[in-house]
Amino acid sequence: MKKKKMVISQETMDVDFVRKVEALADTSVRRCFQCGKCSAGCPMATFMEHPPNRVVRLLQLGQWRRVLEGRSIWYCASCETCSTRCPNKVQLASIMDALRKLSWDAEGPSKESYVQLANKLFLQNIRTYGRQYEMRLAAVFNVKSGQFLKDLMLGPKLIAKGKLKMFHSKNKNLSEIEKIFSRIEEMRKKGEAL
Amino acid sequence: MDKTLNYSYYPGCSLHASAGEYDLSTRELFNVLGIGLTEIPDWFCCGATPAHNVDELLSLSLCAKNMELADKVEGDMAVACAACFSRLKTAQHVLGENDVKRKQVEKAIDAPLKIDGKVKHLLDIIARDLGLERLATAVNKPLTGLKVACYYGCLLTRPTDVPNLDCTEAPTIMERVIETVGAETVDWTHRLECCGANFTLSRPGVVIQLTNAILESAKAAGADCIMVACPLCHGNLDIRQKEIEGVYNADYNMPVFYLTQLVGISVGLDAEKLGLDAMIVNPMPLLKEKGLL
Repeated sequence: MKKKKMVISQETMDVDFVRKVEALADTSVRRCFQCGKCSAGCPMATFMEHPPNRVVRLLQLGQWRRVLEGRSIWYCASCETCSTRCPNKVQLASIMDALRKLSWDAEGPSKESYVQLANKLFLQNIRTYGRQYEMRLAAVFNVKSGQFLKDLMLGPKLIAKGKLKMFHSKNKNLSEIEKIFSRIEEMRKKGEAL
Repeated sequence: MDKTLNYSYYPGCSLHASAGEYDLSTRELFNVLGIGLTEIPDWFCCGATPAHNVDELLSLSLCAKNMELADKVEGDMAVACAACFSRLKTAQHVLGENDVKRKQVEKAIDAPLKIDGKVKHLLDIIARDLGLERLATAVNKPLTGLKVACYYGCLLTRPTDVPNLDCTEAPTIMERVIETVGAETVDWTHRLECCGANFTLSRPGVVIQLTNAILESAKAAGADCIMVACPLCHGNLDIRQKEIEGVYNADYNMPVFYLTQLVGISVGLDAEKLGLDAMIVNPMPLLKEKGLL
């Protein structure tokens, strides 16, 4: 597939979005001077179409749509190597969080659906049960992603080893977790939080 | 028994499921070492990677809520999972520096923040609070001749200024603990490389590639086994090892122990109390060969 040519102009540069990313991540993309140390140490760069340093460069140029359309942000493992090694203290792992959040809220436009589905189910489980139950998470993920046979051979072994619990108890203070989720939703509706 | 060594214990979700042996061996080991653990009643999930991935405010609020629950229990907070440890320490760090986020979280949990209590990983408690000298006195079956590759993974030491467990790029805390109980450690390249963590659910291919490099490096360095302090690292290295061997046509047969299991063996705890039977890569032949069982 031929790549769309990038045109840098006042029309294509959207810096407001980048300011939002900087506010959420509490860091500055402008400090980056493209040394590439983040990408050199990134264990996931090999799976990304835009390695970490290019993600920052695209943000500097206001070309965030290119970043969100791809899978790079969803293939970041949050290992924090980039943030640790950046000579300019750009908190790139936090920038990745902010980009994912803004993309997630806008429900798009990345094609990377498996990682997003896993995140969604994980958060639903916390809201419903207070804790994570791996058996439920894995089973529902397989059904919803249509991969009914994924890790099928592992299941019985894990159950035999006591690693997957068929049943689980619920927290006594479950209503408190629901309140946290709904208060955050309320704050966002009122514009008190991003 | 030192009265000051009492902690509020935050096991995290994995220790109640796929990492049951980490929970079991932690309780048994700490009991032998005279360290008190009181599990925080009705603790919640810390939000782990998915929460901070897409919703930082939720992640910070869940951690703040857990620290509020921990505040009701005597002692610093003892955390077993490297990911929970990282989330809790990150929340302390961010909320300590950013007033806007602090106010938002207070509103979300509808309570003033109680996040000033110390959050400690088990390694910190063993190496610093108990101390290596006292640990040495508890050893009655030194792990002589066992070559251990200590695997830190990502979150025990990174990023700078957050976990403050040890040096970010060249930590030695795991090596110091396991050498204290008589084992040898190997120098190897992948101590701090990522295993792929929670991609094990969404994109297992990623985990297989990254984890293979870790196993390969440990094997090349002459290790008999790998020691971890994180249930996600353990899951990827142990549970997926057979599959990785198949994909890469390799033969690792590399048992992956939790730190509490190996230290537990050295203080004389038996296999049952350390949950060694829950390990997917059978450690028994290695332990028998080294005269440790």
